[in-house]
Amino acid sequence: MTLATVKKAKTLPTQSTLHDVLIIGAGFAGLGAAIRLKQFGITNIAILERDTAVGGTWRDNQYPGAACDIPSNLYSYSFAPNPDWSEAYSGSREILGYIHHLVAKYELEGLIRFSQNVTGMAFDEAAGLWRIETAHGERHAARSVVMAPGPLSNASLPRIAGIESYQGHKIHSAKWDHGYDFTGKRVAVIGTGASGIQIVPELVKVAAHVKVFQRTPGWVLPRVDFAPSDGLKKLFRRAPITQKAVREAMFWIHEAMATGIVWNTAVTPLIERVAKAHLRLQVKDRWLRRQLTPDFTIGCKRVLMSNAYFPALQAPNAKLITWPIATLSEKGIRTVEGVEHQVDCIVFATGFDICKSGTPFPVTGLGGRQLNDEWSRGAQAYKSINVSGYPNLFITFGPNSGPGHNSALVYMESQLDYAVQGISALLRGGHKALDVKPAVQASYNAAIQKRLAKTNWNTGCKSWYLTADGYNATMYPGFATQFAQQMKTFDLADYRPIN
Amino acid sequence: MKALNPKELPTHSQAEINAKLEKMLAKIKATQWSLADIDWDAPGREIVTEDPVLYPKLKAFMADLMWIEHVGARGFAAMAKVAPTDTLKEIYTYFHAEEQRHANAEMALMKRWGMLDGDTLPEPNINIRLVVEWLDRYADEQPLEVLGSVIPMLEIVLDGSLCKFLLETVHDPVCHVAFEKINGDEARHLGVDFQVLEMLGFGKGYQLGIKAAGNLLNPKLLMGILSYMPLLNKMRDNLMALGLPEERLNVALRKYKTIGGRTAQGRRNAWFQIISRHGQLVANRGYTAYHKPVDALVWLTGKVPARWLPTPPSWVNELTWKPAA
Repeated sequence: MTLATVKKAKTLPTQSTLHDVLIIGAGFAGLGAAIRLKQFGITNIAILERDTAVGGTWRDNQYPGAACDIPSNLYSYSFAPNPDWSEAYSGSREILGYIHHLVAKYELEGLIRFSQNVTGMAFDEAAGLWRIETAHGERHAARSVVMAPGPLSNASLPRIAGIESYQGHKIHSAKWDHGYDFTGKRVAVIGTGASGIQIVPELVKVAAHVKVFQRTPGWVLPRVDFAPSDGLKKLFRRAPITQKAVREAMFWIHEAMATGIVWNTAVTPLIERVAKAHLRLQVKDRWLRRQLTPDFTIGCKRVLMSNAYFPALQAPNAKLITWPIATLSEKGIRTVEGVEHQVDCIVFATGFDICKSGTPFPVTGLGGRQLNDEWSRGAQAYKSINVSGYPNLFITFGPNSGPGHNSALVYMESQLDYAVQGISALLRGGHKALDVKPAVQASYNAAIQKRLAKTNWNTGCKSWYLTADGYNATMYPGFATQFAQQMKTFDLADYRPIN
Repeated sequence: MKALNPKELPTHSQAEINAKLEKMLAKIKATQWSLADIDWDAPGREIVTEDPVLYPKLKAFMADLMWIEHVGARGFAAMAKVAPTDTLKEIYTYFHAEEQRHANAEMALMKRWGMLDGDTLPEPNINIRLVVEWLDRYADEQPLEVLGSVIPMLEIVLDGSLCKFLLETVHDPVCHVAFEKINGDEARHLGVDFQVLEMLGFGKGYQLGIKAAGNLLNPKLLMGILSYMPLLNKMRDNLMALGLPEERLNVALRKYKTIGGRTAQGRRNAWFQIISRHGQLVANRGYTAYHKPVDALVWLTGKVPARWLPTPPSWVNELTWKPAA
C-alpha cells in the first residue's frame, strides 16, 4: 500500500470522546498529521495540546536570535509552500507565524483541545481502543494515536553544583523571559550549542558584558543568508514550480552534505576545512581559535551554522570562558581557575531533556507492557514509527528518525504519510488493531544499529544523540531519500492483525 | 628489567588504571576551591613586607613560581588534546585550570605583599618567554609521552621542594592557607602524573625506545628542549640564591625516579629514563659537561632583546589576582 492508493476510509460514528485518531501535540508534527489525515478523508480526529497555543518547539523557543539552521524553503511542508519567507533562514517568530498560517489554512483550530496534558495512555485490547487520560482527569478514546510530543519539547535547568544558591536571574533558552531587560546587565550564557550561538550575538548588542561558558566547541559552518527580493516572492507566488525547484535544489545540496557529515569519508575533511577557514577568517587570535576548534569529527555532534557568533565573542563586552565550571555561587559562576564570575543573569542554553530511553508519559501496550521499561536501555521502533506490542500507535520523530544533514520536516512528512497509510489500512481493513511483528522490528533495528556503527555519530564524541551507554536511538543512518523510500510503503505483511 | 627500588609494585592493567582515573576525576570535581575562599586581607602581611632581606628574594621567587605554574597549566592544556581517553582528557582540562588557579593564588599573594606594579603581571624572564612561545606554537603537537613524562618531574620539584621550602621560609598565615589548598591539588596531580607515567610504558621496551628516539629528532621538540634547559638552569640558580639547599632538589628528583620507576612498565617508558637522568644532571652543578653549554645558552638567551620576541600569546592575559571578575 502506498499513499497514492489510500482511498477515502470509512470512519467510526463521531462521538464526543471517541475518535478515529487522536493526535498528541500541536507542534509541526501534530498539525501536519491532522492536515494529511484530513486530506485523505480521515476527519474524525482531535489534537490534544498541553499548552494554550500551537507551535511546540517554535512556540517555546522565542529567545533573541532564535532561528532554524535549515533554509525555510526546505524547513516547511512541501504541501504548504510559503512564497513570502522574509529570509533564507527565517527566525522563530516567522516560523511560528507559518504554523499559525497552517492552522488557519487547513481549518485545524476546531480540532485542537488546549490545556490537555496527557498523563498516560493504555491500549484496551478488548475494545481495540487507546484510552488516554489527561492531568485534569479528562478521558479520551481513539482507534489510533499519533504521538507527536516533539523531541525538543522539554527543557529544564541543568544539574550544575550550587545552582540553587545563585541569587541572580535565571533564564532557560527554551522558556525565555521576555520581561527581563538585559540592557546594561552582566550576563553569563552557559552552553554553546545551537541555541547558545544564536543568543550570544543578540545579547552582546544590549548587555554590559556577556561571558560565554563553553564546555566543548562545536563545528560552525558559515550560513549563506539573504533576504529574498519582492520580485522573487512574486515569482514564487505566480509560478509555484519555481519555488518547488528551489526547494528541490536545496534538498539535494543538503543530501550531498550527508556524504561528509553522516559518514566519515573523503568529503568529511573538506567540510572541516571549510569550517576551519571560516574560523580563521573570523578569529585572528591563535589561542581563541584553539579554544573554538573542535577535536571531534564533524557531524559527530550537531553541526552549527552562524556568521555572527565568532565576531560577537570578540566584541569588547564579550568573553569566552573555557575553564570548567566548579560551582554556581550566590553571585555568579565559580570556575576551576579560581575566579568567581559575578553576573546579574545566567542564560542556560543547555538544550533539552530528550527521551532517548523513555516516554514523556506512561504508555501501556498489549498485556500491560510498559514502553518506558522496554525502552529503558535505549528506544527502538519499526521504521521509527511503530513499536511492537503497542498497536495502532504512530510516533513522529520516534527512535532513529533524526536527520544530521537535512530538514527534519522532510523526514516528518514521510512519517506522516506512512501513518496515514497505516491508519487507513486499520480503518478500512476491519481489524481491531495492527501490531508490528516483533521479528520484523528486531531485524529492522539490527540493520539500523549495524549501519549506525559506521556513522560519525558513533565515533566516540559525547552528544545528545547517544544514551549514557553510547546507544544511538536518535539518528537515522542514511540519506533523507533513503528514509523517505523506506516510509513510502506500508506493508501489511509486516503487521499482525488483531480481530 | 631489574627493579630499581625495593618497593616494586605489580604492573597495573589498562583497565585498572582507567578505573583509578575515573575515581580520581570524581575526587577532583569534589574538591574544588576558589580564590574567594581565602581572606586575602587577613592579618599577617607585614611578616613578609617588613622583612627587608626576604622581601626582594621572595618577590623574584614568587614571580618565577607563578610563571612556572602558568607554563605548567599550558602544558596540561596540550596534554588534554592528546589524552587517549575521555576521562584523562577531562582530568587534564581540570589540571590546566587548577595550575592556572595556583598561578592566580600566587599572584594574589604577591598583590597582598605589594609585589605587583598595579594590576600588571610580573615581568617574565627571557627564558620563560621562550618557553611560553614554544608552548604556544608547538606544545599541542607533542606526543603525550613527552609532556606526560616531563610534567611529573616539574610537579614533584614544585611540590616536594619549592612549596615546602616556601612554607618554611614565609610565616604569613595567608600564605599557608593558600599553599595548603595548592598542595592538596598538587598531591592529586602527582597521583595522576605517575599513573600516566606508568601507562606510557605499555608496550615493548625497544619499540618505546625507537619511538622516543624518533621524537627526539623532531626539530620542534628540539627547539622545546633548547628553551627548557636554560630555564631549568636559571631557575635552579635563582632557588639556590634564595637559600634552597641543593639536597632538597636532589630528594625531589630521586622521588621522581623512585615513584616513576616502581613498576616494570613505568621503567620501560623511555622518556622517564631520559628525564630522570636529565634531572640528576640539572640538580648537580658538578656535571660541567652539561652545565657549561647550558649556562652558555642562558647567557646567550639573556642577550636576546625582548623586542625580538613576538607579543606574548593571549592566554597569558588570563592570569589574574582578582577573586571576582
